[in-house]
Amino acid sequence: MRTMADLSNTLFFVALGAYIAAMVAAFFAMAFTRVAVDGRMAPTVTGRRMGVTVTVLAATGLAAHVGSVVARGVAADRVPWANMYEYSSVMALVAVAGGLLVVQWRMGFGHLMGFVLAAAVLMMSAGAMLFVPAGPTVPALESYWLKIHVTAMVSASAIFILAAVATVLYLARDAGERRLADRSGQRYTAGTVGAASIDVTEREHAPAAVSSPLELRRVLSPVWFVVAPAAFFFVWGLMKYDVVRGTSMAPVGALLGVAAWYALPYLPPAAQLDNLAYRITAFALPIFTFAIVCGAIWAEEAWGRYWGWDPKETGSFFTWVLYAAYLHARATYGWRGRRAAWVGLSAFVALMVTYFAVNLVVVGLHSYAT
Amino acid sequence: MAETTTRTQNATDPRQPTGWARLPIIPGPWETLLAVWRRLRKMSTALVLLFSLAIASIVATFIPQAPLVPDTVANWRAGTAGPGAPIARMFDAAGLFDVFGSWWFTTLTVLLVVSLTGCLIPRYRAFWRNVRRPPAAGRNLERLSNHTVLRTTLDPTAALAVVDGLLARRRFRRRAIDVTTTRSGREQIAAERGHWREGGNLLFHTAFYVLLIGVAVAQAFGFAGQINVVEGGTFTDTRIVYGNVRAGRYFGIDDHRGFQVRLDDFDASYHANGTPDDFVSTVSIIEDGDVVRSGVRVRPNHPLRHDGMKLYQLRFGMAPHVIVKAGDTVLFDDRVMLGNSGGVWTGTAKVKTSSPDQIALDLALLPDFAVDDRGRPFSRSEQPDAPVLFADLWVGELGLERAVDASRFIREGEPVAGTTLVPGGTSDPLLANLTVEFADLPLWSGFQVSHAPGRWTMLAGSVLLLVGLISSLYGYRRRVWVEAHRTDDGMTTVVVAGVALQRKVVFADAFAALVAAVRTALPTEAGAAAQETTMTDAHHG
Ligand code: HEM
Repeated sequence: MRTMADLSNTLFFVALGAYIAAMVAAFFAMAFTRVAVDGRMAPTVTGRRMGVTVTVLAATGLAAHVGSVVARGVAADRVPWANMYEYSSVMALVAVAGGLLVVQWRMGFGHLMGFVLAAAVLMMSAGAMLFVPAGPTVPALESYWLKIHVTAMVSASAIFILAAVATVLYLARDAGERRLADRSGQRYTAGTVGAASIDVTEREHAPAAVSSPLELRRVLSPVWFVVAPAAFFFVWGLMKYDVVRGTSMAPVGALLGVAAWYALPYLPPAAQLDNLAYRITAFALPIFTFAIVCGAIWAEEAWGRYWGWDPKETGSFFTWVLYAAYLHARATYGWRGRRAAWVGLSAFVALMVTYFAVNLVVVGLHSYAT
Repeated sequence: MAETTTRTQNATDPRQPTGWARLPIIPGPWETLLAVWRRLRKMSTALVLLFSLAIASIVATFIPQAPLVPDTVANWRAGTAGPGAPIARMFDAAGLFDVFGSWWFTTLTVLLVVSLTGCLIPRYRAFWRNVRRPPAAGRNLERLSNHTVLRTTLDPTAALAVVDGLLARRRFRRRAIDVTTTRSGREQIAAERGHWREGGNLLFHTAFYVLLIGVAVAQAFGFAGQINVVEGGTFTDTRIVYGNVRAGRYFGIDDHRGFQVRLDDFDASYHANGTPDDFVSTVSIIEDGDVVRSGVRVRPNHPLRHDGMKLYQLRFGMAPHVIVKAGDTVLFDDRVMLGNSGGVWTGTAKVKTSSPDQIALDLALLPDFAVDDRGRPFSRSEQPDAPVLFADLWVGELGLERAVDASRFIREGEPVAGTTLVPGGTSDPLLANLTVEFADLPLWSGFQVSHAPGRWTMLAGSVLLLVGLISSLYGYRRRVWVEAHRTDDGMTTVVVAGVALQRKVVFADAFAALVAAVRTALPTEAGAAAQETTMTDAHHG
């Protein structure tokens, strides 16, 4: 089984490398896009080739990633998502698969792939720092309810990652469109499609809010795009690890921020991004709910109580309430749009804190991290 | 839900006679209640309440909770840990050490339930009306955003019958509209579908009541307690034997079943790398002196169910059999359950509790004894492969008769004597003629015993919640009308039209599919199919 474990580790890094390459290619591919004055976009010949490269690289990475997870399962002789390293890996895998199949292929938002891949790379890097050799788990974790619970949780979290990517980009793009509208003295109405409904791509319906998307970069200062994510990554690194890691994570945030600023003109209109974020969240929330219910059933089997307000349970409850509040906000006049997006984003932060911080910092029954 | 009632502001009411300075009216109790009720019925209030609950739950993760970690809370209260005793007192006053049991958490929950009820009652009424009301007749079908005009050779009644079948297959509720009541004077079918959206939403919100009932039942009628037994030992299901008891108000002392559980064997196995593989307690159940079940294996994730009670494998430990003698007189002969503190198993044996000369032993056990480079003993693994027991002897005024927790007796100065033993070993006489024997090393097993009614209610609530959530997110209400009339050329013109209240783009596709089905089902003369005009949302631009 040694060899299987080694194979799994090798494939993990092959996948990570392929994702990084695909991500870089995706950001470059945006540069090779012609944007017409009316907002229509078309890739140049090089751009089209780059696009294919992105897909091929990402798909190759995905294949290696699947191999890594399967080999890990064989090596440990159990479902390969029972500790934080494995969980992070599978989360990234599902996010990339969802990004490729749904966001890019089904909905045609190819320009979002760079950001989806970036999220997956971050997730895998965070996971790699928590690496543990393939091995058996403690008896309390050997339950099929646990398998269902964690599988659902991993899927829901991965899908929430996609929603968070769309939400962040929505907030950026919306700020730009709003500012452009202000400058030209128009009333800005296009930011959100509004009420809670899940519609297939509303591309034809979203009004062309921006006459010339390239202007977006002019009205939004890149400074904030550097400072805000760098600060966020610094604080996150500081809270999770120490000053050194925080400092080394800040440039990663800055780079991603710059990428987002650069990507502004090539992103779908704010209304579409908002709708995308909503649809993805609405898809993930029932899965997340199901996961929590299975978790309660498992807790009942393992510990004799289905809900004990341990930190992980409390964190999940908090996250769930915030996501529910997001749906409510979307359906409440005066909250939809930016405000709802911030609620959705805080729900995602809560999800990540529940997942990382609670496992690593707060000690509860759930902390099977080490 | 939008608040639709607009209340006229008296102060600016033009009908009020001017010149009268209106005194501010102090609202009576009834008005106050009404105002509170109106406020609670707003969705924004529900949102704020939801946020408050969420924040309360976060507070509970960062401040230790007495029901979960009583020791930590005791330390915070004493000021030996946390932000200090004065702040801990403030926390206590605000109920922050037991957030989920505090009065304000309960208040928030009650307010949310009231708010929910306020939201739900009018919606239930409206839903009930909507569901019972037959599909309404349509007018000006050609002006609807989704509509198609088809021509067929069938007569209007037959054509409508065909379409009716298609709508039935798509699970629309249909109604034939009387010719005399349609504005156009044409035969019509009105069809409707998608009450599941609102129904699902109501189901989802109603599920919270079910969940709350489940919680309340579990709180009131449930029981949970913990107990440790040594291999070979027996306990009886009665209130007094349990520790960490959480008993509902309506689970009385007499509600215990009184059966006995005997721990026949406990087995802990480990993987080669030292991580635990499995913990198995083998127990027998004895009722009225007869063994009714035997060889029952209780493992993590595999509780034992008996007579409405559930027995869970919780923990386990070492229980060295220690015999203390003074000459030939046996002073103590028992198996002492030790607890694990950082790899060392420790515990206390109360040997003689009558004054003046009380005797106690402090025990420490290393299951797999070894000595490290610096000559310090440690345990190589969790498995009792080479157990070594260290016993410290205390004699004097130890306060044992007062110490409820045996480990908390008074230790002044140094122990009188100490000894190191392996299984089967007996110490040299320690103080005068006292000897300590380490007879053998059985294990103890810790169980949680609980009675949890309301579980199925909770599960049902969760299922309702999920079903409701999914249908409210994906369901959508839509109406379709089909009208048919004879034209001068002897053909029949069929108009199919529809609107959706939500998910309009999805509906546009479904509508196109319906139209395609209608077109193939209606017989046409050659070329007739070409004479149709279609408008759907998706092509509007
Ligand atoms: C934990 C508590 C709650 C959760 C998780 C929750 C969740 C939801 C969800 C998921 C929706 C569907 C949104 C949609 O159809 O777009 C919804 C709708 C709604 N909820 Fe709640 N809800 C909760 C409490 C409440 C309360 C207390 C009220 C009453 C004040 C309320 C009133 C409503 C209303 C009126 C809608 C319909 C909104 C619309 O479609 O326009 N909810 N809720």
